[in-house]
Amino acid sequence: MKPFRANMLVCAGTGCVSNKSFKVKLALEQEIKRRGLEDEVLVAATGCQGFCERGPLVIHWPDGIFYQRVSEEEIPMLVTEHLIKGRPYKNLMYAPGAAEAPIPKLADIDFFKYQRLIVLRNRGIIDPELIDDYISNDGYMALHKALTDMTPEGVIDEITMSGLRGRGGAGFLTGFKWGICSKARDQEKFIVCNADEGDPGAFMDRSVLEADPHAVIEGMALGAYAIGAQTGYVYVRDEYPLACQRITRAIRQAEEYGLLGDRIFDTDFSFNIKVVRGAGAFVCGEETALMASIEGRMGKPRQRPPFPAQKGLWGHPTNINNVETWANVPLIIMRGADWYASIGTEKSKGTKIFSLVGKVNNTGLVEVPMGISLRKLVFDIGGGIIGGKELKAVQTGGPSGGMIPKELIDLPVDYEKLAEAGSIMGSGGLIVMDETDCMVDIAKYFLAFTTDESCGKCTPCRVGTKAMWNILDDITRGRGKKGDIELLKEVAVNVKNLSLCGLGQTAPNPVLTMIRYFKDELEAHIKERKCPTNKCTKIAPAPCQKACPIGMDVPTYVALIAERKLDEALEVIRWDNPLPAICGRVCPHGCEYECKRGTIDTPISICSLKRFVVDYQRARGADIIPRKEAHGREKVAIIGSGPAGLTVAHDLALWGYAVTIFEALPEAGGMLRAGIPGYRLPRDILDIEIDVIKKLGVEIKTNSSVGANAIPLDDLKKQFSAVFLSVGAHKGLKLGIPGEDNFEGILDCITFLRGVNIDKNMNKPGGKVAVIGGGNAAMDAARTAVRLGCEEVNVIYRRSHAEMPADPSEIESAIEEGIKINYLVQPTKVIGDKGMVTGIECVRTELGEPDLSGRRRPVPVKGSEFMVNCDVVIPAISQAPDLGFLAKGHGFKTTRWSTFEVNPETTSIQGVFAGGDAVSGPATVIEAIAAGQRAAVSIHNYLRKGEDHRDYRIPRSYKKMPQVSLSNEEQSSLRRPEMPHIPVAERKGTFGEVALGFTLEAAVNEAKRCLRCDLE
Amino acid sequence: MVSVKIDGHELECREGTSVLEAARSLGIRVPTLCYHEALTPYGACRLCVVEIISGGRRRLAASCVYPVEEGLEVITDSPETHQARKATMEFLLARSPDSAYLRERAKEEFGITEPRFVLAPEDCSDCILCGLCVRACAEIVGVAAIDFVMRGIKSQVEPPFLKGSDVCIGCGTCVQVCPTGYIQVEHISRIAAAHEFPKIGTESISDHAVKCRVCGAYHLGSAFPKDYNRLLANV
Repeated sequence: MKPFRANMLVCAGTGCVSNKSFKVKLALEQEIKRRGLEDEVLVAATGCQGFCERGPLVIHWPDGIFYQRVSEEEIPMLVTEHLIKGRPYKNLMYAPGAAEAPIPKLADIDFFKYQRLIVLRNRGIIDPELIDDYISNDGYMALHKALTDMTPEGVIDEITMSGLRGRGGAGFLTGFKWGICSKARDQEKFIVCNADEGDPGAFMDRSVLEADPHAVIEGMALGAYAIGAQTGYVYVRDEYPLACQRITRAIRQAEEYGLLGDRIFDTDFSFNIKVVRGAGAFVCGEETALMASIEGRMGKPRQRPPFPAQKGLWGHPTNINNVETWANVPLIIMRGADWYASIGTEKSKGTKIFSLVGKVNNTGLVEVPMGISLRKLVFDIGGGIIGGKELKAVQTGGPSGGMIPKELIDLPVDYEKLAEAGSIMGSGGLIVMDETDCMVDIAKYFLAFTTDESCGKCTPCRVGTKAMWNILDDITRGRGKKGDIELLKEVAVNVKNLSLCGLGQTAPNPVLTMIRYFKDELEAHIKERKCPTNKCTKIAPAPCQKACPIGMDVPTYVALIAERKLDEALEVIRWDNPLPAICGRVCPHGCEYECKRGTIDTPISICSLKRFVVDYQRARGADIIPRKEAHGREKVAIIGSGPAGLTVAHDLALWGYAVTIFEALPEAGGMLRAGIPGYRLPRDILDIEIDVIKKLGVEIKTNSSVGANAIPLDDLKKQFSAVFLSVGAHKGLKLGIPGEDNFEGILDCITFLRGVNIDKNMNKPGGKVAVIGGGNAAMDAARTAVRLGCEEVNVIYRRSHAEMPADPSEIESAIEEGIKINYLVQPTKVIGDKGMVTGIECVRTELGEPDLSGRRRPVPVKGSEFMVNCDVVIPAISQAPDLGFLAKGHGFKTTRWSTFEVNPETTSIQGVFAGGDAVSGPATVIEAIAAGQRAAVSIHNYLRKGEDHRDYRIPRSYKKMPQVSLSNEEQSSLRRPEMPHIPVAERKGTFGEVALGFTLEAAVNEAKRCLRCDLE
Repeated sequence: MVSVKIDGHELECREGTSVLEAARSLGIRVPTLCYHEALTPYGACRLCVVEIISGGRRRLAASCVYPVEEGLEVITDSPETHQARKATMEFLLARSPDSAYLRERAKEEFGITEPRFVLAPEDCSDCILCGLCVRACAEIVGVAAIDFVMRGIKSQVEPPFLKGSDVCIGCGTCVQVCPTGYIQVEHISRIAAAHEFPKIGTESISDHAVKCRVCGAYHLGSAFPKDYNRLLANV
């Protein structure tokens, strides 16, 4: 062979080829020729390199430089830089993140670093179309060794001792299987290579056939020698044209070299291989169906026993193994069973190829030792989850496998461990799912595949898979019923136990693991018509309704506004929401983010329309006090008068209970009053809404603390039939930095806001204020400080604008009012002089790896320290419930965030319920209302003990409203109105409401824009 | 000969005998649907499942296609087998809710009146896909005019390419062997023709009537005795 100074190896696996790698190869060859380098540099095609997501790939040897996403346009620069000037070309190198430095060498890239290549030993090194390449890498040495030095029994013993197990999925011991077939007495025996790989997201077998077809041929020849077979079949699906082409070509080359055919290596052993193309039925991967297909019959499975080793192709003993199993064989014979058995776990030896796909950064094909943890696969090799999101589950074994939740991420991957977790190894598909994936929807997806691929022969698989799919479909469309989960499980178990072949026996796995690990999510779909990830778009009448935590019937009230039927609109609003005028002002309106109109121009102003209806009706004296349903039932005590407590009071009072609220502060409203400033939520609005609830007969006792030093909780438990704890989260968390406790001028955000909003004793705290944090509470503190006359207000936030949790309109208003927001800055120390704060020492940060919350972690930049001068520091990083009110030995189970544990709504003490921020940690008003509504149902069911059962609220339509007809002119001219605000100059020194609300005309026109998704 | 144990009874049987045949030889009743003594067992309906204890493992398997093996232990009647057969019958009934034959068996043998899950109307049919007609046509009549087409829930029995078969001889064996009466013949003028299925040419039907290997009679649609179906079932 002619020596070259450099090899440029172009990946020619299916992934890269479909990314035009052959064009890249041609361009590279032409450019090299044009530069006169054709005698120095060899351009060759190789099999799949595995890192398919980054294709087309080109690798430079001997430097080992890895080039990715190579395009024809970049070729001249690549040749100039690397091949002529001798410096690797940075532009085409791989970098793990946009901000990170490129990694030149293949061996240094995480994706490759942790892999161990046995089956794929030749990938990317040899040209799969040249048998000489294979031979020059010790190819066919094992066959020679076996035929000249080993008996067939010796080969079987070696394979048995190696511990190799079938890679098709079931994991049967290969040597043992060969032994059975070798003992069968028959003149004619067959060997089959199963390359009918067909599960979504899996391409291991294709890649092996494409990258190293001779390894499969050699393995099959060894197997044929061991069991005494004369003929072999490669059953490969026709959808793999390149694999078909390469294996066919490889067989021809092997025949030409005398490595297949009669008297191989001048021994008595003769062996031939034929390629059979499958028409693409998934069930043909099942061995009895596969044999039927080879025989020219319909690909349907039959009962085993008799096993193929007893009665296989045309009734003769037949041994079937998967592509990957065959490719393992030559190396075991070459290097010995002991070597192979030293890799992997006790019962699962060697390596396994996985196709790592789904929501993972590095998609591709990887070969790893058995026993590697899923964490290493997903995070080290896979480079973590796309977009820094949180991992939710990993599906192994494709549609026949199960979902392994993130809690089991440290599970070592071997046959037994996966089976214990309810999944299977399968052929090696590994699909990563993130927090945005709905597990019910995913289970339905996999089931749709198996339902479609079921051959229809046996009853359980044919009918059962469809029956399960139908139940899941109903659930995702909001038609789930009580008892569905039990029925689903029963059907799944029956299909698993009663089906004829592996397809039916494994098809229920995704459903069963979904029920096992994600039952809460499934129950939310059924009980509350909620898809926690919002993936199931048909679960509620309209997307806005689906997005709303309390499922408000938005389309109906918006339609009523469009028709100027405001009395009715208010009826609909009050039917769903006990605090509509408040929500119409401070709700973060997730509904608007889901609004379909937003995909055309701008979403409907749902939040402001709700506010308009309540304000307008109230102004003309037409507000509604909801009617009570029943009277004279038990007494219920509620501790805390925030949105959760008010909601429980509202609902229970409507259902006839006698409700008393105990409020520690002098005025009712909880965080609505203490935390949210008047310029966002005017006090009179708050008072009116609370009055409505009082009018239902709810008694609110203010200045009434419950707990250790006040009214004992035990007394309440005696006096009342049920107690609801909604104490909120009023304790500001500390920054945890030096100097925090040493100086005056440090004012926790909640104390500050409460001082202004309730105690009315808080004046201008200082001239220069630094607010630490990026949530709505931080914005409230900063904007309040401006109104109190502080000259300079700095907000310090350690991440960037994109991660900032505060409402975008809040951030905008803060900036309007002259507040400076410092992004990517982290405070490190509070500085003071003579007992007073003088400033805060900060460091600049940059965003690194995602943390547990899925947001990218801020990493301090060394040497970037600087000072922010201030005389007041207001930490507003987060809040927790203040559990100081509980007596010692209170018996409540709490979390490490000092919130109450509830299951699902009661606390660990009978008759005591909890909800709102005290359970969830700091959350939104609408989430507190949702928690309150859920708790009210729970309390009702607890007190009525099953009789008079009341279901959870589910998103539903109050009434059916027809579409509003619009003139052409209206259709084209209507735009989302701007909310009028009071001028910035008038905001200082006053807490008057900034947003002024819509006029009737603006509201009606806005309502007309609604697309009425509920009518579909 | 191999010795097996069925419901506690020791039994010697010929190699190749199915567990179902062995059980029936002892007078044990195992419900079946897609099984017919005159035809190759198919193992599709799963109504005949029994518990197989072999190599220390205990599992459910269709008895009609499970060959006896030395030392095999079989339990034909247990809570597990009953539950499995009931589940199978519920699946069958979900597919063929209008079949009087199935409704009767579901009610009498398992106490099922309605399945707890429903399939879309297009997924339902009185054809229970037992394949008796397919096998009878291929193995007894010897023409294989019909077979399964499509896959999964969309499976049906049809002539190739859903077109009228040119090999069907109109013998009507499929009609007679069909347990649910899904396959019907219709009288068109003087001669009998399987109108619904199989679709056949109009000429030469009477010329091609064949002798049935089961009953020895010559089959021609309208010539069957009314209780033929029952006779066939008791062969």
